[in-house]
Amino acid sequence: MALVKLNDLEIEVEDGTNIVEAAREHGIEVPHYCYHPGLSRPANCRMCLVEPYVFFPPAGAIVPDRQLATGCTTTVRTAPPDRKLDGKYDFIVRTDSERVKKAREDVLEFLLVHHPLDCPVCDQAGECDLQDYSYRHGHDKSRYLEVKNVPPKKDLGPDVLLYSTRCVVCTRCIRFAQEVSGTGELGLINRGSHDEIDIPRSHDGKPLQLLDNKLAGNVVDICPVGALISKDFLFKSRPWFLEKANSVCTGCSVGCNITVEYKADGVYRIKPRFHEDINQHWICDDGRLGYHYINSDDRLQLPLKRVDDELTPTHWADALSVITEQLSEAEADDIVVIGSAQATNEDNYVLQQFAHDVLQTTQLGLFGHPPGEEHKFPQFTIEADKNPNAAGARTILGSANGNVVLEGDALWEKVSDAKIVYLVSGGPERPLADAEKAALENVDFLIVQDVLPSEVTQLADVVLPGTTFVEKDGTITNSTGWVQRIRKTIDPPGEARIDWEITQQLAKQLDGEMNYRFAGEIALAIAENVPGYADATHQNIGDAGIKLADS
Amino acid sequence: MVEERRILYEHLDVPDINTFDVFRQYDGYKRFEKAIAEYQPEDIAKMVMDSGLKGRGGAGFSTGLKWSFVPRDIKPCYLCCNADESEPGTFSNRYVLEKNPHLLIEGILICCYAMGIETTYVYIRGEFTLGKKMLDAAIKEAYEKGYLGKDVRGTGLNIDIYTHPGAGAYICGEETGLIESLEGKRGQPRNKPPFPAVEGVFSKPTVVQNVETLCNLPFIVGNGVEWYTKMGPTYADTRNDPPTPDPNTGTKLYCISGDVNEPGVYELDLGLTCSELIEVAGGLRGEEVKAVIPGGSSAPILTHYELDTRLDFTSLTLAKSMLGSGGIIVMNETRNIVDCLLNIMKFYAHESCGQCTPCRWGTPWVRDIVQRIADGDGRQDTITRPKFGVTESGRWGDTGETEEIYEDLDLLESVANNIANVDTMTWNTICVFGIAVSWPAVSYMRKFRPEFEAAIREGKLVTLPVAEATVPPEENYAYQQRFIPKEFADL
Repeated sequence: MALVKLNDLEIEVEDGTNIVEAAREHGIEVPHYCYHPGLSRPANCRMCLVEPYVFFPPAGAIVPDRQLATGCTTTVRTAPPDRKLDGKYDFIVRTDSERVKKAREDVLEFLLVHHPLDCPVCDQAGECDLQDYSYRHGHDKSRYLEVKNVPPKKDLGPDVLLYSTRCVVCTRCIRFAQEVSGTGELGLINRGSHDEIDIPRSHDGKPLQLLDNKLAGNVVDICPVGALISKDFLFKSRPWFLEKANSVCTGCSVGCNITVEYKADGVYRIKPRFHEDINQHWICDDGRLGYHYINSDDRLQLPLKRVDDELTPTHWADALSVITEQLSEAEADDIVVIGSAQATNEDNYVLQQFAHDVLQTTQLGLFGHPPGEEHKFPQFTIEADKNPNAAGARTILGSANGNVVLEGDALWEKVSDAKIVYLVSGGPERPLADAEKAALENVDFLIVQDVLPSEVTQLADVVLPGTTFVEKDGTITNSTGWVQRIRKTIDPPGEARIDWEITQQLAKQLDGEMNYRFAGEIALAIAENVPGYADATHQNIGDAGIKLADS
Repeated sequence: MVEERRILYEHLDVPDINTFDVFRQYDGYKRFEKAIAEYQPEDIAKMVMDSGLKGRGGAGFSTGLKWSFVPRDIKPCYLCCNADESEPGTFSNRYVLEKNPHLLIEGILICCYAMGIETTYVYIRGEFTLGKKMLDAAIKEAYEKGYLGKDVRGTGLNIDIYTHPGAGAYICGEETGLIESLEGKRGQPRNKPPFPAVEGVFSKPTVVQNVETLCNLPFIVGNGVEWYTKMGPTYADTRNDPPTPDPNTGTKLYCISGDVNEPGVYELDLGLTCSELIEVAGGLRGEEVKAVIPGGSSAPILTHYELDTRLDFTSLTLAKSMLGSGGIIVMNETRNIVDCLLNIMKFYAHESCGQCTPCRWGTPWVRDIVQRIADGDGRQDTITRPKFGVTESGRWGDTGETEEIYEDLDLLESVANNIANVDTMTWNTICVFGIAVSWPAVSYMRKFRPEFEAAIREGKLVTLPVAEATVPPEENYAYQQRFIPKEFADL
């Protein structure tokens, strides 16, 4: 640890930390554009200039260094005892001197020379570093009289637009494509004030390679200004109208930390949230753009029951009574309860408790999405397992005495012999394989709990509308053993209900003793009963998640 | 009358000196053989240090000192020869490359021996097609004769030279820009530190030297340090206590162009004055000297008041200018300084690499302002303000008079200083291109302010008589010192 005098603060800083980070930890903003903690540091924006102090022997005093230094590349090191400044400091730096303020002002003036100042129609307005810093550190007038450069707007790929006029050429996007995704689609063309970000093009301007890798959407997040814009979010909402909730992506078993940005009428976009051990600063485009099923008009809003071979809407009381009737008549051995790798630990815990305590069956199954493709990038992996909670569901469904959790072929064999199957699905629409379809068709009475009409619901006798990961609280466990929180943001559509509440309601109607009031209570029960989950209460997990001890 | 002292250029005009055999007749490679036979590598490094040789590329940094920063235990270590000579007004390396390439190879060999280097890259300006052709031929010959390649002349040294043509960017003459370009990347300077001596080509220690610097090495080794230090003045650096010697030894290839009768490259001892140099180049073409650019287009201009300035690294630094690459451009009374500045600014606006913000957008802005003034659209305010100037105390202050406000001149100075401040010599840019832009912009404007004012006032370019166009140096000096507290003013 090095002792640093930062402005008038005396702070302890770990060796190797740069000034931007050290200052940020102590609530001091050092404005910057090109620096991003997840990328290399070219120090080309010159916005983070700070004033280091050095010992000046002729004067015998500690004086500001002749040149300002860039805060992003200036790292703190413990000085040897005889080189300490003022007898104790390893480093002395000011971020608020007149010289620094002037330098920021000057750099901002240059940045705005060719900027179109089109904030009123810019998607980034409200979360734009150029806007924010201009208000905080900039001039209020432009002294530039000449005609501005107007480089063209470009379509870079399936989801990314480039408004070149707004670009400050910080090269974050280029470095991202080189270092994190390793695909290197982006580069600078031209020189000097005509610098433009672009993809490779032939001489007649046709793109030779599009920015279409699975991580491409991140360049929009890291763009400090409104140059790179997501087509998905374009003109949909002003960012300040959006509410934000910390959650976890359910697109695959990595469990990337995300922020869900939403309004009452649905989810508007998904942004990555930093987690050092899981996703760093990034998420993939599958996760980023995979939220559309939540806002879908097709969502199941009412329970359905099969009348004359046709699924017809009904009301909850009716749907549940049909089910309880069937369940109470059946033998325990004829019932198979199938939990979901798409559902939370809480959903699955209530489900296994329902199966074990109320239905007295030990035959459980685990249903999830079939494996997809794995994508490996230099600093990021999209896993093949497309279920966010396979690990958690497996442990939790099997946590009670004697429970057997079947998966794959064994499960479908069992299902084809069963009379009643209670299947919890969830997540985006899932196609059925032939074997799965054949097995489910054999079932006498199929109860499906899902969020969207699908091949599974078509086979069902009763369909119960469940909820997606943004409509309920809970925890999920990723493939590396991190238990993390998802949070309720919007209300479920129509009369759809939280999955564990549906199961609990069924249990109650079958005279089971179950009375959870909220997801946190279930998590406490999990902590008590499921090995390895002792610390996994909602309180402990918080925003950072916890890693299971035995994984 | 000052005589030329030809050392590097001594045999330049010998027919076929570019071939090995002829070069050999004129002591070719014998200095290298002497180095290997008589000296250890450390001795050579010490000789270079003692000779006081300063890098001829522009910055004038001591070559021996630069070599001492190179860690000896990290291998491989590379030598980059900077032959990307593109400073406007400079054309001395080109003759060495085209006419006497073996001299450069010998210099490279000595440097490689001294620093334990096995691989050398000669980054050669793309436009020097003939130079590259001649150098390539010479390298081929040197390989054939056993002076390059594996086990050079049975000494166990392995030395390879590769030539690499540039693609026409001025900024690739900056040492780290050169390295980036050499590595196959976009030619953009790196942040320093780390300096190339510690982390250069392929992240290995790298010695980057100008062609002219390397060509000096055979003569230092061949004729000895004592012989070498007799040429050129040695000053005392009084910033240190006790004062340390500040050598400006050796000869310099001055490229003299502009309004002189016999423009060309002249090899002269360092430390001659401007007037002497103009004399050597056949005298002035025209009536009187209006201005002299002492070291390539990026150097601050000298006025006719400053013609006694000695053209060496130290004297020009003290005169708030620089020797740079030794490209001297003389202007007579017919030249319009606004027009000259516009020409230079067009060049810099075009050549800015665009990596860092102030230079990327500041440089074209400066050009635009100068263009506006030259077009006669410069802005002048309708009100006046108190005139600041040299007061009775000799310092900058309110003179009690009023002056007209030339908005665009204030803007020009402010924008240029925001790229790199010429008064405090601080820059917000990554490399010194920033100061290479603001130095001419601010110095031309300050030293020839009447001509700029006239252009704005009259709405067209007006070439004033020399005496009227030039601001007296006392006034400039006082202006430069205006922010410095009185007690430090003369430090």
